[in-house]
Order: sequence, then structure tokens, then C-alpha cells
Amino acid sequence: MFDTLISLRKKFLQSGLWRLGLFFALIGPGIITSNVDNDAGGITTYSLAGAKYGLSLLWTLIPIMIALIVIQEMCARMGVVSGKGLSDLIRERFGAKITFYLMIVLFLANMGNTLSEFAGVAASMEIFGVSKYLSVPLAAFFVWRLVVKGSYKSVEKAFLIACVFYFSYIISGFLIKPSWNIIMTAFVTPTVTFDVGWLTMAIGIVGTTIAPWMQFYLQSSVVDKGIKAKNYKYTRMDVIFGSFMVNVVAFFIIMLCAVTLYTNNLVIETAKDAALALAPLAGSYCTWLFAFGLLNASLFAASILPLSTAYTICEAFGWESSINTKFVEAPQFYGLYTITIFLGAGIILLPNVPLISIMFYSQVINGILLPFVLIFMLLLINDKKIMGDYINGKIMNIISWTTVAVLICLSLAMAFAAIMS
Amino acid sequence: MPLTSEPQGFLFLSDILKKKVINAGGQHLGQIVDAVAEFVEPYPIVTGLILKVSAHKNALLPWKSVLSIGEDACVANITAHALAGYKKQGNAVLLKDALMDKQVVDTNGARIRRVNDLQFLQAHHILYLIHVDVGFRGLMRRVGLTKPMDKMMQMLFDYTLADQLISWKFAQPLSSPDLLRLNIAQNRLSQIHPADLADILEDLDIRRRSAVFQALDKETAAETLEETDPKIQVSLIADLNSAQASDIIEEMSLSEATDLLGDLPKEKAKRILKEMEKTVAEDVRELLAHPEKEAGGMMTTSFLRFRPSTTVQQAMEMIRAEGEDVDLIYYGYITDEKEHLLGVVTLRDLLLASPETTLNNIMDSRIISVKLKDNDDTIAENFAKYGVTAIPVVDTKGKLQGAIMFKNLLEVVASHLGK
Repeated sequence: MFDTLISLRKKFLQSGLWRLGLFFALIGPGIITSNVDNDAGGITTYSLAGAKYGLSLLWTLIPIMIALIVIQEMCARMGVVSGKGLSDLIRERFGAKITFYLMIVLFLANMGNTLSEFAGVAASMEIFGVSKYLSVPLAAFFVWRLVVKGSYKSVEKAFLIACVFYFSYIISGFLIKPSWNIIMTAFVTPTVTFDVGWLTMAIGIVGTTIAPWMQFYLQSSVVDKGIKAKNYKYTRMDVIFGSFMVNVVAFFIIMLCAVTLYTNNLVIETAKDAALALAPLAGSYCTWLFAFGLLNASLFAASILPLSTAYTICEAFGWESSINTKFVEAPQFYGLYTITIFLGAGIILLPNVPLISIMFYSQVINGILLPFVLIFMLLLINDKKIMGDYINGKIMNIISWTTVAVLICLSLAMAFAAIMS
Repeated sequence: MPLTSEPQGFLFLSDILKKKVINAGGQHLGQIVDAVAEFVEPYPIVTGLILKVSAHKNALLPWKSVLSIGEDACVANITAHALAGYKKQGNAVLLKDALMDKQVVDTNGARIRRVNDLQFLQAHHILYLIHVDVGFRGLMRRVGLTKPMDKMMQMLFDYTLADQLISWKFAQPLSSPDLLRLNIAQNRLSQIHPADLADILEDLDIRRRSAVFQALDKETAAETLEETDPKIQVSLIADLNSAQASDIIEEMSLSEATDLLGDLPKEKAKRILKEMEKTVAEDVRELLAHPEKEAGGMMTTSFLRFRPSTTVQQAMEMIRAEGEDVDLIYYGYITDEKEHLLGVVTLRDLLLASPETTLNNIMDSRIISVKLKDNDDTIAENFAKYGVTAIPVVDTKGKLQGAIMFKNLLEVVASHLGK
């Protein structure tokens, strides 16, 4: 009896199953970041891309996924090796002045992102027939309580489980029984249309998938986990898996909207339009699934963005920043947190607020900020003093500098196009 | 060589940095990029400035060659080709590199702060580093917005923004292991209460956490470890070798040491136990056999036992002799030869009784005790009901096995409280 147990244990160890267990103990940061990445802005952009341009943008998800993996891998590596957050490293390496202006821009960008999350809450709840004057204040109150009650960590787990609802998009995708041959052909055949609208949309997909705040958030969650350098490979798997998942969800949203809305020439402006337009084409359950996915995504991101913003800025300036402190002990932290939520939710409720242009400009600020963050990251990750033996290898440097160069060109193009129009 | 402009006064590092340096002949020497200071007590003394001479070349300008630091430029009496490259020696530290924008522990306020600026006092042509600026105004000075910000605060809130300075005496730099080692002699960290020090450790990132922890002396390390979150305890001990770990764990109270060893991976705990003193290791092994949430897991075996025939004087002598190393001295437990618990005396009883009295005359034989298997709720009830600060633990036959101190119960139940 005992012998069988021992031999079973041996088999278990040899099979590498225990590695799987270790993987599950260390995952989290990568997958959570990726899921927050599919936020209200993301879902909107993917829906619009599918509805306006059919399957022609589907292939861009492949290079986007590679870029996402390259960038997030560097962030995670910096977190594990240095044990410090990104804003901490930027402050120590590049000094107070640069950090100060960077943080101001980051605050504005995140403010805009938070705004679009609350807009997502409002839109999805309106599909269920709930007025935004009820849903947005409730959502804001819920998010604010998370930190005051200090229950953020447990709620994070709840959200992670709620991420299963992203499968709603995948299920919807299968329910409409598309012709997979055409979709797969479109997916692997890169086509470029030299049309301003098409190009802007392509850049939009990149911009919403690779946002500046994610790098700060990912790195500090990796640091929080306290992962040792020797276990780094599991974190890398976490990041790759997360990046893969984002793009699977994006794939299905674009495909869903392309097969239904685009084929029927329906014009939509928002994710809410997309959800509503799906009802007659794919059944009302599809609308509900779509709306529920949007609500979950928006609420998840809305809970994380203000917290991440407050953390990042306080870390850069050395202000007390812990959920476990009282308001008077960490006034800057709670102040930033509260302002982000208050303005983010408040602006949505103003009558006649030019929501679309606000969201558009927040994308522009994100686009301007991203190049700086990426260049700082590359300089930091190649700094021997910080990274020791974990600096980028030659090949990794070629890949990452190329990726960053392309992203910078795209971001600048987007910012330029936005200012011109 | 008196300074021409300001013989005495305060100066910020940010005021010096980026200033160009010329010599008396008007020759341009370079731009100040850093300052070198000798770390001596009580205040570090600036020994030189690092100049950027050309795009890729830095040089050291010895402080004794500096004539004055003015608004526009710093004047030195040295020629360009007399400048030599900088080599680190002794206790010299590059101030900007090691301190600016980095974290320090404010040992007075027991908090981690970020350095926004450094303040010097200039007296008799010596530049002392006396303050670390951690305030918002310091940050604004670095950004170059002091004046607009001052004006804005004045206008909007009628509030004068003040500098927030920490005396160098209360600042412990953390940026490198070298700096930590340098300051061990001054023992700044051990001035902080262990409970505060534990909070600071919890706030630090993993690397600096173990660097700071390893810079502490054994006693402080042990006391701090007792106050630290169990998860962090484990990671701190995991970074040490068994010999170092056992040295620190031996200094901890028996029940704390047991809890910690119980949380460690089995192999690591075994190796540490091997390194520990035999008698302590045996006690720990005994305690480790009990589950953590039962009386057996919470108790300590490090307390004083007396016989009924012991006199008060003998008891007091025992306390003086062994009290230093014992977890619990406020209560003494009286047992027969077979370890059956007969009664309890408090330190108060012993102090008030005459020296010749035997303990069976003053002991309280209305024993309040818990069983080895009793759980935390039962124990908490007993503490609350009888208002004691420690409760003896007996086995089913009434033999004394250990004692639970209130502190140890608190650690187990604290996780249910407040949150």
C-alpha cells in the first residue's frame, strides 16, 4: 500500500504535473492585466472594427499579440528582477523632473480611461433598461468602497472568475455558425487598405490593446506577488497566456460583428449599438451575453484603474500608498483615488457631455504617452545596474526595439491624425 | 580660503547640480553632475564635486579647490588639465547617485520616504550634509516650479508651503548594501521600535527587505521578526543560511520561534534545528508536534516551575538567575514531583510575601487551566472570563505541559478581528 503511494508520488513528480501546480500558484498578474485590457474601450474598438471593416482587420491581431508579449514580458521581468515598480525605477533612474511630467500625463490618460470604463457601465446597463443616473453612481460607490473596505484582493479574485464571462463572446461566436474557412483565410492573409478610416481603426486596435497604464499595473502586481527570479519562467508563461487570451477574445468580437453587422451593412457607433443590433441577427441571448461581457469588463477595469493610478503616482513621489492606512496617513493616495473615480463617473452624468470626443482625446494622450514609457522601459531593461544578468539579449533587443519603433510610429500617427481631424 | 559670496548658509544639492564651473582665469572647466561626500559622524562632509568635462568624460574637482558657488557659476582655482578622474575610495559616496530620488528610512518617524533633495550647511568652507528633503516643495524645486507653486498655494489657499526636512541623523539610506553596512556602526535602524521596523520591512520590496534585515544585529533582527507577517518571516529566513537563521531564531521567544519553524519548508526547518542549541531545539520540536490553533500549538514551555516547599526567597533568586531567557515570568507554576499542576503564584505575590514563606502558603490553588487540545475560542473565553495574562496548559492527567501568554493568543485571533 505504502509502496504504491511512493511510486505514485514518484510518477507524479516525473510527469511534471507538479509544475502545473506551481504555475497556477504563480499566475495571476499576467492574466488579470490582460483581462483588464479587454475593457470598455477595447470592446468598443473591436466591435467597430468588425462592423465597419468586416474581417479585413482580423489579421492585425497576430502582430499585436506578438508586440503585447514582447512588451509585457519585459515588464514582468523587470518586476521580478528589480523587485520595484516601473514608476519607482523611472524615478530613480531618470530623476524628479521627467517623472513629474510623466506622472501628470499618465494621470490625465488614466482619467480618460476611467471615464470610458464608466461610460461602458452606463452603456451596458442601458441595454438592461437601467438608467445611467442609477448605474454609474452605484458603480462608482462600489469601486470606492473596495479600497475603503480593503476588500480589493478578494474582489480581484471574483473578477478573475467573472473573466469566464469573456467566453460569452466565444460562445456567441460559435452560436451564429459562421463559415470558418473564410474567417481563417482572412485571419492569416494580411491585407492593407490605404483608407484613412481603415488605418485609424488599425491604429486604434493597437492603442487600446497596448496602453501605457498596463505596464505600470503589470509590473507592480508582479512585484506584489514577490516572485523569485528562479521562478520567473512561470510568470513568463502567465504573461504569454494572458496576451494570447486577450487576442482570442478580440478575435471573436471582431468576427462576431463582421459576420453579423458588416454582412448586413448595419452602421454602429458604440458597443451598445453593436449589442442591440445583434438581437435580430443572432438572437436576443447574444445581445444579453454581449452586454454582460461589456458590464463585467468595464466594472473590472474601473475598479483597477483608479487604484493603479494612485499607486503608480504615490510610488513615484514616495507618498504613503497602502490600502491599510487611514485617510489622514495617506492623503495623496486617497485624494488621487477619489478624484479619479469622482471625475470619471461624474463627467458621464453631465448633460450633453461630448463623450465621444473626450474618449478620443484620451486615446490621443495615451498615444503620446506610450512612446515615452516604452523608451524608458527599454533603457531600464538594458541597465546592468538594475537588471544584472537579466538584461535583454541581442535578439530580444532587436525584436523589442523594432516593436517599440513600430508602436511609436503608430502612436504618433494616431495623435497626429487626431489633431488634424 | 574663505568663501567670497556666502561664508555661512544653507545650500541644496539641486542648486549645485548642472551649474557650470569656471576658474579664476575665466576658463570653462565643466558642469557639476554629482557631489562626493565622506560619510563621517555626525554629518557627511563634501570632499569634491564631479564635473562633466566632455560628453563621455567626468572628473573630480576637490572641494578645497572650490572658491565659491555663486548664482550663475561655481568658481575654482584649478586649471583644466589639473583635473583628474574620480576613483571611489574609503567611505566616499556619490550623493546624487546614491541618495537623490532614492528611498530612505526616517528613523524618527519610522517611515520610508523618497529623497527629493539634499540640504547642506556651509560653514568655514566646509560643506556638511545635514538634511534630507522629503517634502513637496523639494519636489517642486527639482521640477523648477518652486516659485509658481508657492504663489499658487498662497493665492488659492493662503498657505505657505514649507520645506519638509529630515535631519541626516534620522535618515537611513537604503539604496545599496554598501550604504546599509556603512551605517551599522551608527545603528540607526535599531533605534526604531521593532514593531515599526517590521512595518517598514513589509513596505519594502523583496530585495531591499532582505538587505535591511540582514543589516540588523541579531537581537533587533529577532525582535523585528517576531512582529513581522508570517509570510514575510518565511521569505526573510529563506534568504539566510541555516547558521545565520538559527542564530536569529534562538533569540526569538520560544513560541514565536516554533510558529516560524512550523511555517518553513520541512527541509529548511530541519537544517536550522540542527544548527540550534540542543536544549532549545528539543523544546521547539516538542511544541512543533501540536497543531497551531490548539492550546498545544500556542503555548510556550519557557517559564518557571516551582515546588510547594520552595521559599519566596529561593523563587526570587531563580527568577533573577533565569528570567532573562524565559518567555513568561509574571506567573510561576507550582507542581509536584510528577509535574501535576498544584497552584500558581504571581510576581506580585512573591514581591509582597516575606522571604521565608513557602510557596504552598501563598499560591492560588483554584487553578484555571486549559487542555492541550482546546481550541482558540475556548482559550479566548478563559482569558476573557478570568482576566489573566497567561494560562497554564495541562494534559488529560493534569500534568503541566506549557503556558499560553495572552500575546500568543492575540496573534492567532487577531486575524478575525477588525477585518
